[in-house]
Amino acid sequence: MATTLSWMVLVLPLVSGLVLTGWPSEPPRAITRVLGIGSILVAFALSVWVFADLLGSPPEERSLTSRAFEWIAIGDVTVDLSILVDPLSVMMMLVITGVGFLIHLYSAEYMGGDRDYRRFFAGMNLFVFSMLLLVMAGNFLFLIVGWAFVGLASYLLIGFWYERPTAVAAAKKAFIVNVIGDVGLVLGAVLILRETGTLDYAGAFAGAGSIGADSGTLLAICLLLFMGAAAKSAQVPLHTWLPDAMEGPTPVSALIHAATMVTAGVYLVVRCHVFFDLSWLAGDIVAVVGAITLLMAATVALQQVDIKRVLAWSTISQVGYMIMAVGLGAYASGMFMLMAHAFFKAALFLAAGIVIHALHGEQNLDRMAGLRKHLRVAYFGMGAGCLAIAGVPGFAGFFAKDDVLASALAGGNVGVACWVIGVIGAFLTALYMFRLLFRAFFGPEPGGGYRPVPHPSRWWMSVPVVILGVLSIVGGLVQVPFGWAGITDWLQPVTGNAPSVLAPTHTTEVVTVITSSVVALAGIALAWWLFGADPARRLRLAGVARSTREVMRGGWRFDEVCDDVIVEPGRTVADVMWAEVEPKGPQGIITGTTALLRGGARLVGASQSGLVRAYAFWMVLGIVAVGIVLAIVVTGAV
Amino acid sequence: MSVPIGAYLMLSLALLILGLIGVMRRRNPLMLLLSVELMLNAGNVALIGFSRLWDDPSGQVFALVVMVVAAAEVVIGLGLVVAIFRSRTNLDVDEMSSMRG
Repeated sequence: MATTLSWMVLVLPLVSGLVLTGWPSEPPRAITRVLGIGSILVAFALSVWVFADLLGSPPEERSLTSRAFEWIAIGDVTVDLSILVDPLSVMMMLVITGVGFLIHLYSAEYMGGDRDYRRFFAGMNLFVFSMLLLVMAGNFLFLIVGWAFVGLASYLLIGFWYERPTAVAAAKKAFIVNVIGDVGLVLGAVLILRETGTLDYAGAFAGAGSIGADSGTLLAICLLLFMGAAAKSAQVPLHTWLPDAMEGPTPVSALIHAATMVTAGVYLVVRCHVFFDLSWLAGDIVAVVGAITLLMAATVALQQVDIKRVLAWSTISQVGYMIMAVGLGAYASGMFMLMAHAFFKAALFLAAGIVIHALHGEQNLDRMAGLRKHLRVAYFGMGAGCLAIAGVPGFAGFFAKDDVLASALAGGNVGVACWVIGVIGAFLTALYMFRLLFRAFFGPEPGGGYRPVPHPSRWWMSVPVVILGVLSIVGGLVQVPFGWAGITDWLQPVTGNAPSVLAPTHTTEVVTVITSSVVALAGIALAWWLFGADPARRLRLAGVARSTREVMRGGWRFDEVCDDVIVEPGRTVADVMWAEVEPKGPQGIITGTTALLRGGARLVGASQSGLVRAYAFWMVLGIVAVGIVLAIVVTGAV
Repeated sequence: MSVPIGAYLMLSLALLILGLIGVMRRRNPLMLLLSVELMLNAGNVALIGFSRLWDDPSGQVFALVVMVVAAAEVVIGLGLVVAIFRSRTNLDVDEMSSMRG
């Protein structure tokens, strides 16, 4: 029953996307909406049904596999088109279809002025299908298929406004960086196939123990898988595509580059946690990468003036928290953070979208202020999102981040180091998010007032923002310290009881709750002092640490380093190949061959005089020669 | 009384040489065709001579085949000659050298 419904969840977005794509002309907007949004709504309803179904069965029976048919059979290896419905994938399904539906609904108005309405919804539906395939796949092959489709959908939607060269460049960059990750993932899967002889999750995880804990092979598998995860989840050093991906329409940024796709790496690590459990070094590397990312991205977010780029860097930073958590073995905490982040980051992005829509495409914070009087809904969404992401006690982000940090503190030396970085990151998070809020929504309006006055959003856009805002406020209540642990209990059948799986202890919980609350409020207070209380203060302080801030604004020069280390040498090699090797090598062989043939033909062609009598003469000469040879042979033989 | 094989062969050789000289010396395509015909018949004479020598009729069958082929060749050759004559009003094989390589 649950599996049948899950198949329908998976297929619905695909069908609606294909119907929209195949529609002979631009369909009426009502039809596009019904198909594009309705399919996701139905998928969400079915996901809830599946969730309820699993909830009603005992925990040990919550992992269901459904096989459609055999896809490939080579020797002993068979790969089925199969889905795995277990607590982890159901949780992802709920987030994807739930948040996805709200963002689709929002898009109906946001993209209302765009001539490519149908193409937008077709792309979004394709994305939802790909993401569902990614999380529901029952083996590594279909994980990779979903993984690659997600990259494709992301590419198509970042480059949605293909007339803009920057959008096309950003789409290419995202795709190329993601393919680097895909290579890692594929190699990891092949290595798993070699070691365990199967690509099925169940078989591969069962065979993980035989590879040998802490062996080099296992480390290689983990690191290759994490390479894929790092590219999708924008972890250092493969994060550079995400800020540029903001060239896409805002709903795309909200759905793909904040709520769902960038969390695929977190999902992957949790799904393959059996491997990471057995290799402490791989887990620590993952955690350290996550910690570095969260701190680095938080400092960059402080200096961005583009409202969407602030959110993009903030996403990198928050995903860093999740990666750090799952690297340390706190899988439930990471997934909790993933869910909470989907709520508040979607709320933030959609609220930012309302601002951008109302200001006719303006994204620069310098030209925003005092918007709270005009855009009540955006103010609510942004405010709730900021309170949540900053970790103000009571909001969703507080519980999630607290869970991550409290688990980290229980995780040995590396865990304590991660905890320290996480706390610093929490302070920076509060600072940069409230900087955005105070600069955009408080203070005097730029130029003495907006002309024309920003128009408030209609219900299409308002309802999702309000719902996500409310979820940002109450969504954390599923797992409350000293109270109950909804997420941990729910994921228990998946993450299991391996000794390396972390959970907060009583002490770390108390320490973290106090520290993170203080830090969050301190960050908000500093933001108020810098940006809220006196809007002119920020201009007076503009000269402080100018060069450092310049470096931070440029994203710690990762793009420049990447250019110098990879792009430029590559270009030089290509130039040498083009100017030196190719003309003399392959091209030389080809021209040499044709020259040889042409010269030979000229030589032989000289004999073609065109004089029939000359031919006759040569023929006679030939006959005579043959006759003489024959005569010699015959007489010689006799 | 039978004609010795040497006589056949001498006649055949004489005809062949005449034909060869004609092919190489003459410039008129009609004469060329005639000379070729002469050479083919030199071959026929030799075939019939050997046929008589071995008392085997297959040589004569070959001679008949050669005659048929020769007739066909003459038809084509004459056709070509007439076509060329129409376009050029001059029949000299040395000037027909547009196929020069």
